[in-house]
Amino acid sequence: MYYLRTVLQYALTLMVALAVNFFLPRLAPGNPINSLLGADVVETMTAEQVAQVAAELGIHDPLYLQFWNYLTGIFSTDFGNSILLGMPVWDALMQRLPWTLLLMGVALLFSTLIGTVLGVLSAWKRGEITDIVTMGGVLFIGSLPPFWLAMMLIILFSTTLGWLPSFGAYQLGTSFPRPDWFLGVGKRLIMPALALGVVQAASVLLISRASMMAALDQDYIMFARAKGVSERVIFFKHAFRNALLPLYTHVMMGLGSLVGGALVIESVFAYPGLGSLVVMGVNSRDYPLLQGLFVIATISIILANLVTDIFYPLVDPRTRRAR
Amino acid sequence: MHRTMVRAACASALALCLVASPLAHDASLHANPEAGNGSPHTAAGLLSAVNNDGPKSADHLRIGIWNTAANITTYTIGNSWNDWVLYLALDKLLEPSPYLSKGRSWLATEVVQVSEDARVWEAEIRQGVKWHDGTELTAEDVVFTYNLYLNGPANRWTHHVSDVPRIELIEQVGPNRVRFTAPRPMPNFDLVTAPEMPILQKKQWEGIEDPRTLEEPVIGTGPYKLVDFKADEYYHFVAHEEFWGGAPLVKELTLVMIKDPQTMFSALKSGEIDGAARALPPELVEEWKNDPAIEIAQAPSLWGTWMNMNLNDPIFNNRDLRYALSLAIDADEMVERVMLGRAQSGKHGWPHLDSTWTKPGMEVPYDEALAKTGLDAVGFVDKDGDGFRDLPDGTPFDWRIVVSTNQPLYVRAAEIMVEQLATVGVKTHVEAVDAATFNSLTTDGNYEFSISEITPHGLADQDQYVQFYSGAQMKALLESEPERKALYDTWWEADTRDARLEASFALQEYENKYPSRFMLWYPDGLFAYRWQSYDNYVSSFGYGIYNKYSFLPEAGRIGTSDSIDHLIEE
Repeated sequence: MYYLRTVLQYALTLMVALAVNFFLPRLAPGNPINSLLGADVVETMTAEQVAQVAAELGIHDPLYLQFWNYLTGIFSTDFGNSILLGMPVWDALMQRLPWTLLLMGVALLFSTLIGTVLGVLSAWKRGEITDIVTMGGVLFIGSLPPFWLAMMLIILFSTTLGWLPSFGAYQLGTSFPRPDWFLGVGKRLIMPALALGVVQAASVLLISRASMMAALDQDYIMFARAKGVSERVIFFKHAFRNALLPLYTHVMMGLGSLVGGALVIESVFAYPGLGSLVVMGVNSRDYPLLQGLFVIATISIILANLVTDIFYPLVDPRTRRAR
Repeated sequence: MHRTMVRAACASALALCLVASPLAHDASLHANPEAGNGSPHTAAGLLSAVNNDGPKSADHLRIGIWNTAANITTYTIGNSWNDWVLYLALDKLLEPSPYLSKGRSWLATEVVQVSEDARVWEAEIRQGVKWHDGTELTAEDVVFTYNLYLNGPANRWTHHVSDVPRIELIEQVGPNRVRFTAPRPMPNFDLVTAPEMPILQKKQWEGIEDPRTLEEPVIGTGPYKLVDFKADEYYHFVAHEEFWGGAPLVKELTLVMIKDPQTMFSALKSGEIDGAARALPPELVEEWKNDPAIEIAQAPSLWGTWMNMNLNDPIFNNRDLRYALSLAIDADEMVERVMLGRAQSGKHGWPHLDSTWTKPGMEVPYDEALAKTGLDAVGFVDKDGDGFRDLPDGTPFDWRIVVSTNQPLYVRAAEIMVEQLATVGVKTHVEAVDAATFNSLTTDGNYEFSISEITPHGLADQDQYVQFYSGAQMKALLESEPERKALYDTWWEADTRDARLEASFALQEYENKYPSRFMLWYPDGLFAYRWQSYDNYVSSFGYGIYNKYSFLPEAGRIGTSDSIDHLIEE
């Protein structure tokens, strides 16, 4: 019953989000014709010519008809054609989704690992110099604007040292699954993942540190110490396992903020993922493209939340009993 | 003005040196005898400290582009930022540029006027030209193309056949001959229309219902064949082996999409790309001038930056007010403070200073005192004593200067404009909005002033100037200003090129006296490339150095503006 209720709640959320995805871009001022033809050309066109182009692009249809086409399109993965790219939106999304998933996956892994290790270390060495330096350093880097950090990385590692390529996701001219393709992908992943992950790592550090400290203050820890259990066992077996719960929630919820960060980072590194596509879609008011992108983003985040909810009882037995 | 004169003197001195030097032969090959009325004001050449001598051919070049090129068709490229990408694959009847005073034979061996009143023209189509798929170009392709522009879905080229000029009949009148007939004279057909319209393959396009969604690479007759692309990511071209004009000098071109300017120039600096096809920011010129790996070229790109005003607003439909406001704008200050001197002053007005059809010697004066007198005369006086003028009915105002947030230089220019207008008592403020909102506000007439760029297509094409009057805002001026309307009608009735140029000069003079836009500056076309990869670029009017002629052998470069293979001594 719990799982059915959860799935229904998410289905309702999805329907509301889909409607918002459709109407929100249309509420913003602007239309795609200016981007397609150039404002100076549009300015010289007659009203009939502009109306003709609008009709061809499907933005002249009544709103309810556009909404109906959008909804039916979702179920058949037919999001229409991107106005600016001149290609099916679905194809554009599928071309770019793997790169975003790769970037976000690596960034998430990086931020979780670094944030957790440093957070736990800080908690363990609470008040000592290690704690102060770690906290200060990570918070400083984490508070830097991601785009600025990205530019600094490019200047250092690409322009000055020449170690890493500054743009793209793979080396043009290579193809999967040749080793040089993998090498190119790896090299081009380092800086964007670093820029994206560092910011997220700071918040993971804060959560993990706070959770660990809270866990270490619990009575059962004192009881374990009184029993003569070693500090290492206390730390990892008793405290860390309990500290993982808020961390798990935070990391899963952090997926959303990674999506936001990807918009900027992908644009700076010319990384061919969904983020740079969103920027282009928004700037040009490419409605079909934006709709497709937002549907993918909505479904991804809702799925991540659903998975978190479903697996939470497995991680925390107390919630299992409560349900 | 002083700066312009210095430049002109330097250019003349340079020309004299060239005549006396071994380079004279090269220079004469590239000199542009059609470059209008006197020599161009923007010199073409290198700004680097040293003129390196790099390879004149290459196997593979990687060039960064920044503006969405989609699937590279006439329906998805709609601007002058990257139309050169399209022209790598597609040719026109005449080339190289609609911004010169003469088109050179290209896909047409000749384009001739056949009626005295310039209403009928004929083009003889070159034989033996091969499409990228190996089939031969025919007159049918040309008829099909022009009809598609005329009657098919509208695109950036449509108005060149549907409006200015309006062609009503395109027919094949011989095995290789096509006739174009218009109801009104079109004496500039071979000057603007024929060098403007890219020719499409009938076989590829005739069955396509929605031309905006062509999935296969476009087939053209141009020197480069598009063989692979991922929209908005990269475009891979290979040399067209059967190109009628000879084998291109670069065998493969990969254009990579890098939208962020800093990333693009970092990639150029680190050698990941060989050229950056976007204007080099002025601040990088000094920094890179002595860079041993990079050469900086200046080329007349015919771009401009202007401040529009909302002519739909009855307030601005007052030519005396516009004249007074124009006197308050110090374009020279804009050049120095915003462009760090890497531009020419917009005081010359409209059209572009370097355009081949620009009336020489025009200037919009900067005169603060006269501006104040003019504003007083149209009733804009300070009635409430707040230090700023009010509308003639006494209402205070604070006009918006709208700019796009993705153009930081224009935001700066708007801030300076607020200061300049304040000195004559006009209160304004800057409103920075995202690019799409900016376009929406300006095309919907929901603004007072806006600062934006204007492409060569709008600033250096004689027909386009009149095309602007098809839009609602400029049309309003024709209705309210009989003198402007009379000049406009004279332009349309002119049936010889000279008569049309004369009418155009009269229109320019009127436009600069009672401007519909305020020109702020014409940027020096600044471009950067890695000379060790390829060092054989040529400057083409309106396209800078990134154009297909830069990759063609000598014969294909005829008509390009100037070689850039010499240093500009400033």
